[in-house]
Amino acid sequence: MKKILLFLIPLGAFIAVTGFLLKGLYSEPRYEVSVSVSKPIPDFELPDVMDPKKLYTKETFLGQKTLLNVWGVWCVTCAVELPYLTELRKQGVRIVGLYYQLNNDPDFDQKPLPQLQWEIRQMLGKHGNPYQFNMFDKDRSYGMDLGVTGAPETFLIDELGVVKVHHVGDLNTRVWKEKFSMYFGES
Amino acid sequence: MKLSLPIVVLLISGWIIAVAHATETTYQLDDPAKQKIFLELKHELRCPMCQNQTIGDSNAMIALDLKRKTFELVESGKSKQEVIDYMKARYGEFVHYKPPVTPITIWLWLLPAGFIVVAFLVMFFARRNAKSDLNEAGESPLKSEDASPQDLEEADKLLDKYK
Repeated sequence: MKKILLFLIPLGAFIAVTGFLLKGLYSEPRYEVSVSVSKPIPDFELPDVMDPKKLYTKETFLGQKTLLNVWGVWCVTCAVELPYLTELRKQGVRIVGLYYQLNNDPDFDQKPLPQLQWEIRQMLGKHGNPYQFNMFDKDRSYGMDLGVTGAPETFLIDELGVVKVHHVGDLNTRVWKEKFSMYFGES
Repeated sequence: MKLSLPIVVLLISGWIIAVAHATETTYQLDDPAKQKIFLELKHELRCPMCQNQTIGDSNAMIALDLKRKTFELVESGKSKQEVIDYMKARYGEFVHYKPPVTPITIWLWLLPAGFIVVAFLVMFFARRNAKSDLNEAGESPLKSEDASPQDLEEADKLLDKYK
């Protein structure tokens, strides 16, 4: 009996450790627990990046499911996901952009707006335009309220303005199936 | 006047270093108490995008943003805990390097302590069992009188056989 235990205990421990390490090998190394999920999106008042006189508030998200996509012309991965997002738009998904400005200090080194608008038109013309409109998060403060760490990131906001999904990284077929499609009545 | 090449190179590199230094944003608060809070927070808040770097260590855009926000909050008179709560409300528990004690994380402290207690218990009982196998004089409790006559006879036979 003792001999069997002396054999089984180390074997059991070995299998447990192996299983644990094997799981670690295939796990997502990024820690991803979003605080904003299942909470109403924070209040905001942001201008349209193409027409700063136009202001958007939370109201714009009420009444229909919307994807809020955080992006910028400086972001390489965003260029990769733009064609896929454009495809989603064609299928009837409402996508709003949150333009995430890249600069180290928002009080200085601001790019002149006309130049930025030109660059945005260039990029969307090249890779496809999935956006109904783009809100301009000039100093990234709204991004901070949402818990954005960079671009691209995508939020799914339901009809009541509640965040359902917060995805960090690019959106593609696999991610859509795993995280988003169930909210759009697809299996 | 003719400048030698080494001196020109030295002057240029000195200028480059000065410019590079000037572009780095430094945060200085006049109130020493606030400055202390800010420096502590800089090394306790984690950059949510980078792997295991504080916002003080990292130069990622988000780390710079959080550093600037921390500076603004401290400057406006917020306490250390208020700043930590502000960050946690946006980036979760992950953003603070000190884990909170919850029913799940309590095991981080209990398990190592538990292992030590269990190890001591095992050692204690192992020693007591080893002792109880011997009598007071430290001899084996098995005595030749305990054996049956048949066994003794057989033992004698075996001894004779291998003599």
